[in-house]
Amino acid sequence: MKQYIKLTIAISLMVLIMPSCKKDLLNVDNPNTITEEQFWKTESDAEKGVNAAYAMFYKPGGWSRWIYFRLDLTSDEGFSNSPWIELADWTRFQYVNYNFWEGNAITWRDTYKAIFRCNQVLANLPEIPFTDNNKKELLLAQAKFLRGLHYYYAALLWENIPLVLEPSKPDDLPAQRPLAEVWAQVEKDLTEALAVLPVSWDAANVGRPNKGAANAFLARTYMQQRKWPQAKTALDYFITGAGAGKYELVTNFQDNFTHTNENNKESVFEIQFSDVNKGGDGDDPNQNMGHNRAQFFAPRGIGWSDGQARYWMVDEFKKEKTTANAIDPRLRYTLFYPALFADFGDKIYGRNWEWNANEAWFRKYQRDYFRTNEDYFAQNNVRLIRYADVLLMYAEVLNELDQTATAAGYVNTVRARSNMASLATAHPAVLMSKDAFRDRLKIERMLELCGESVRWADLKRWGDLETPAKVSAVAQRDPDFNNFVVGKHVRLPIPQTEVLNNPNLKQNDKY
Amino acid sequence: MRKRSLAPTFLHAPACMQKVRSAAGAVLLLIALFFTLLLSAQSTHTVKGKVTNQKGEPLEGASVTAKGANTGTSTDASGNYTLQVANAQSTLVFSNVGYADKEVAVNGQSSIDVQLQQGTADLGEVVVVGYGSQRKRDLTGAVAVVETGEVTKRQATTIGEALQGLASGVFVRGGGQPGSEARVEIRGLKNLTGTNPLYVIDGMITYANRDFNPNDVESIQILKDASAAAIYGSRAANGVIIITTKKGKKGPMRVDFAAKTSIQTTPRWDLAGKDEFVRLNYMAYDNANVPRQNLNLDVTTDWQDESFQTGYMQDYNVSFAGGGDNGSYMVSANYFKNKGAVISTGFDRISLRVNSQGSKGIFSFGENLAISNAKSDEMSGNPYADVVRLLPTIPVYDPANPGGYGYGSESRARTFGTNPVAIADLEDRALENFRVRGNIWGELKLLPFLKYRANFGYETSADNYRYKRKEGNWTLNQAYDPAIFNENRARYQSMLVENTLSFNKRFGKHSVNAIAGQTYQRDNYGQIWGTKRNILQNSSSGSYYWVLDQGSEPQVGGYDQKAILLSYLGRIEYNFADKYLLNAVVRHDGSSRLGRNEQWGTFPSVSAAWRVSNEEFFKVNFVNDLKLRISHGTLGSSSNLGYWDYLPVINTFSTIAMGTGQNVLPGATQVRLANQDLRWEKLTQTNFGVDASLLNSKLSVTAEYFIAKTTDVLTYMPILMTTGNDGGNPAVNAASLRNTGFELSATYRAEAKDFSYYVTANVTTLRNKILNLGYGRNDIFTGTTVTKLGSPAAMWFLLQTDGLFQTQEEVTNYKNKDGITIQPNARPGDLRFVDHNGDGQITNDDKIVLGSPWAKWELGLNMGASYKNFDLTMNWFGSFGSTVYNGYRSLVDRFDDNSNYREGIQPWTPDNTNTNVPRAFYGSTLNSRGDSDRWLESGTFMRLKFVSLSYRLPDALIKRIGFANAQITISGQNLLTFSSFGGLDPEFNNGNMFERGVYGFQFPNLKMYSAGLQFGF
Repeated sequence: MKQYIKLTIAISLMVLIMPSCKKDLLNVDNPNTITEEQFWKTESDAEKGVNAAYAMFYKPGGWSRWIYFRLDLTSDEGFSNSPWIELADWTRFQYVNYNFWEGNAITWRDTYKAIFRCNQVLANLPEIPFTDNNKKELLLAQAKFLRGLHYYYAALLWENIPLVLEPSKPDDLPAQRPLAEVWAQVEKDLTEALAVLPVSWDAANVGRPNKGAANAFLARTYMQQRKWPQAKTALDYFITGAGAGKYELVTNFQDNFTHTNENNKESVFEIQFSDVNKGGDGDDPNQNMGHNRAQFFAPRGIGWSDGQARYWMVDEFKKEKTTANAIDPRLRYTLFYPALFADFGDKIYGRNWEWNANEAWFRKYQRDYFRTNEDYFAQNNVRLIRYADVLLMYAEVLNELDQTATAAGYVNTVRARSNMASLATAHPAVLMSKDAFRDRLKIERMLELCGESVRWADLKRWGDLETPAKVSAVAQRDPDFNNFVVGKHVRLPIPQTEVLNNPNLKQNDKY
Repeated sequence: MRKRSLAPTFLHAPACMQKVRSAAGAVLLLIALFFTLLLSAQSTHTVKGKVTNQKGEPLEGASVTAKGANTGTSTDASGNYTLQVANAQSTLVFSNVGYADKEVAVNGQSSIDVQLQQGTADLGEVVVVGYGSQRKRDLTGAVAVVETGEVTKRQATTIGEALQGLASGVFVRGGGQPGSEARVEIRGLKNLTGTNPLYVIDGMITYANRDFNPNDVESIQILKDASAAAIYGSRAANGVIIITTKKGKKGPMRVDFAAKTSIQTTPRWDLAGKDEFVRLNYMAYDNANVPRQNLNLDVTTDWQDESFQTGYMQDYNVSFAGGGDNGSYMVSANYFKNKGAVISTGFDRISLRVNSQGSKGIFSFGENLAISNAKSDEMSGNPYADVVRLLPTIPVYDPANPGGYGYGSESRARTFGTNPVAIADLEDRALENFRVRGNIWGELKLLPFLKYRANFGYETSADNYRYKRKEGNWTLNQAYDPAIFNENRARYQSMLVENTLSFNKRFGKHSVNAIAGQTYQRDNYGQIWGTKRNILQNSSSGSYYWVLDQGSEPQVGGYDQKAILLSYLGRIEYNFADKYLLNAVVRHDGSSRLGRNEQWGTFPSVSAAWRVSNEEFFKVNFVNDLKLRISHGTLGSSSNLGYWDYLPVINTFSTIAMGTGQNVLPGATQVRLANQDLRWEKLTQTNFGVDASLLNSKLSVTAEYFIAKTTDVLTYMPILMTTGNDGGNPAVNAASLRNTGFELSATYRAEAKDFSYYVTANVTTLRNKILNLGYGRNDIFTGTTVTKLGSPAAMWFLLQTDGLFQTQEEVTNYKNKDGITIQPNARPGDLRFVDHNGDGQITNDDKIVLGSPWAKWELGLNMGASYKNFDLTMNWFGSFGSTVYNGYRSLVDRFDDNSNYREGIQPWTPDNTNTNVPRAFYGSTLNSRGDSDRWLESGTFMRLKFVSLSYRLPDALIKRIGFANAQITISGQNLLTFSSFGGLDPEFNNGNMFERGVYGFQFPNLKMYSAGLQFGF
């Protein structure tokens, strides 16, 4: 009997010591952050969701680093002389490993990462109650603008890509779309955004896209498809529409590239970079809000020097003097080149020229104007579209619509800021024909916009990459184009793992 | 009556136990059932006697049974026994742990004294099997027992590292680096994420990391199959390593001291010297028509001399142990120090252990407590790669560079290689862990056959990581960084509560051992971190003040993690006449890491064995013991998951600048996708085993064949980038895979007068096959591998090469069937690729499967011999038949980029065509592309892991100085390696399951020469 008592005591003890089996004992809540289910409930959630979409501008696949390699270095303005051969190969049409992260996959990934953020906003906001419905519409319009922008650049780079328009699920295998459908989606997003976005924002919200930004990107989208009348309609906004008189060229050309005069009257849309956080590229606390372009494009000994400028541009700048018989002042703020000190009295990050005599680097967005070194936290905003570009685009569109004489006026406005004589004075022959004007415009765009990530789109739009003869002409300026195969290299290969792992996606032609 | 007293108590079990009641209830019912079998046997003849060892000392607890009858007893403290047998013609079987069985015919005698001989093969050995122990001979599952002596002889930082080659089916790859952990894989790849087995140290469920002192080990058991591991349930899918630490023994205090000291040297690359480098570098530039770089011919640097040093290890251990009738104690202290073989690396550990136990009446109690502080100076960068990437013409120091160190230069040495001397000085990383790990248990022997045990385990560590970055550069064109200090402090806690009730009784020929219980474990981890930039510097000495008070631009962060595992378990072991053995386990597990509707799972297993040699009909003289085993069971697993992988969460860390004032605004969005219905990964294993002891127990053989099928494998399977997912692929129940394997372990021992020796061979073969992949996919591709249905994981998927073009004519004539020249741009000396799809060009579509990274078989060979006072031990380990990717060769042999070259390399030239190395060509990746089979090599190797020679001081001498024993040992590790592999170490470890065979400059195993001294008194 004694034994049974002991036994009973022991078993009761065991049951007592056992942790109380509350039904939800295993339901351990994550104390670190809110769940997806608990989010997308309030206006504040909606604002944060849109802000997170903007934050994708700070990621290395896009506008903090690698996209400049695709848009600037691959074009005939730039090249890479990096000792990292594979990195350099990806600026000269030598694509061997299509999964090469820095050259291809990260930009692809970050593009869709940004689109995922936009899609979350677009899918979830409609359900959130707002006291002011206009505010909701404005948030949705911003997400549409950003999605349109990212698809615009993806269309430029890879052309035939999947269109993901809903929040992603892990097992998604989205279907590839032909380029025309991708452009149509960009047009749709930008048009819908345009309808809602304001002409301008209050001071606290400067930096968000307005009607000008939407029209400018819409015009770019139409222009890439050579839909000139539609492009003109979009650009009319700046000339005769609600945006007329709102934009002006800044007096000092350099103000377009420094952090000291950002969001100025010339700015149409720019990325708001900041050096407040000195953190990493990941999605962690204190993540970097600056860009790394300056570190990657600075001359050897200062930065990585993974990208530099083709020297033909120096010569081009020097072909024509200002009305005061001086060197084109834009050259000073556009390039580092051997005679920079002799021509303008500027050293290179405080150094004398210590590089080869035929070399040049991009100076736009470099921070030598207040530093002697570079790092990963550049705070100067990158101007994706400025008014000078809009004017030159307008001139191009007018010329294509056979209004060459009118077009010249807009080019002259841009030239005048830099004390360059009017086209009629300096280059009368170019007013004689549409083709001659277009050829001049190609030079004008380089002089004004080189290193501002528009050249790759320009070359494609102008058809300069469509025949072997035209490509040879480009190769005169940039021998990397000797590797260019017509019909192949006009678009990038899609990352190979994406092609292999998605049955609904085919590799681009000829790859 | 007993049945009733049990059942109502359990009816009070809380609601969440309802699900288990059927399982646990069944076990309890069985226990109760056997109570009713408490019947005493009829007796007609009584035998008494005494059991002693060779020296005539009494053996306590030796088992005495009547063969073929259901009677048995065991000896008392004086070795005496009394047994009633059915008739006077019975045969008695005497057995005891560590001794050979002996059978004696009664022949009417009433007094039989027996002397047992110490067994050469330890048939009576007891092994720990989780919540109890079993005689090794009674095992029904696959359990490996590691020779602890072999483990402690080795100079190892972690216990995992010391296990290599000592047990079949256990794959170990060492870390090499000071303080690094080894990777242990039991019976192959069962899932696609983690492979680490579960460690149970004195009942505490934990992991035997570098804080654990291997000198404290008393015994190691490895539970390999599902039925053996099932009692540990959900965490045992990768196998279980049970470690029991040393306990005091009855008797006066015994003091043991051991000291080991070792020197370590790293293997080195055979790299070109300066002159050879210069010649080859000029050749590559000249072939490419690129102006030569202006190499600094005044400098000759041997980067390996600069980066590597002779490592040094010291290991001191002292222990005090003793005990009386009712208690025992063991106290040990250890100091371990390792100066690394790479500059600025090291590891340092101090640890203390107290194990004690006591008993009074039916109550006994014990505790195991270990306190340790481990500190490692971690490696910055990877010197093994950097010594290759740097050119011999770069100086170590260069005052012109910020920080004063030499590195690449655009005009003189175009490389981004990191100067290892610079980074060792400028970047310092240190991790320190203070850990307390222990458990306390109490046991009530309610009835002679019924025990209740409560076990409370607790482990905590205080972790501190410091990163100090001085101002200065270590590579070409580096971005400017000021002095930066980052520090984090973390606390880990794990609490374990276990209640078990065990029943152990023999009813004549029937023996029943049953256990039922419950366990609860909670893990917590919390960390805070801070970073400051522009750390204060003393302008005269140049030293920095590394505290977070100094500096500017503060950043802080922190987080908390928590997980709970709750389980109910039951096991029953039944033994009939030592012939038929049956073992059944059921476990009901709940995990907080799984989807809210998928938290619970029930996992049963059953195993049986038949000791053929105990059958009357079995009359094979040379077979002393023969046992056949079979087991089948299912285990659930969720421990590879993160804390909240099932939960889609919002990332709130993005911020943006907006407005004219560039105000910082918060952002929030989902970054990482999640699968919310994560459920248990299930491992179903079937095991067939044979244990045999032959030739007077001189030869013992264990063979196992197993089929392990894992379904619903939880893995972070790569998903498409078009999902926009980041922060890691989401966990998913994504695959099914099957491992089949065969393991054979054989030991032969022989003894003569002064000479004895043994040889143990462990052979393992393993095949894995993917049965099914997640998201409905048929394959997963990475840059170099494919994982495909019906094939092993991570097979090489590359372009195939077919030698070199020797002439321009060969290039032109290399055409497909349509006459298209396949590589029109190639030149003589370039690689010829195989156009598998016949489209006349070389593209990704020409890739095919070109080999497997999996070893066909692995061999462990352990040998020992002793002659008089000398002992010689050798452990060999070999791995055969794998194909690996040599990342080193893909760097040194490429020539398109600047790095040092392989010594003696012969690139193709018009005058030197008899070579397989393409022409040296700077600036083009076409010959050096990473996705070709040019870099595949055989991974086969055989290595002398360990050899030692020890000398026991003669008894006469040590008695005179008052010692009980003393021994001097010299040993060596990794001294000999036979391999054709061109990397630094064929025994490497790649943690990425999908790139398992990629050698990428992993830290190699080091050569080690040790001397040790051991004595006790």
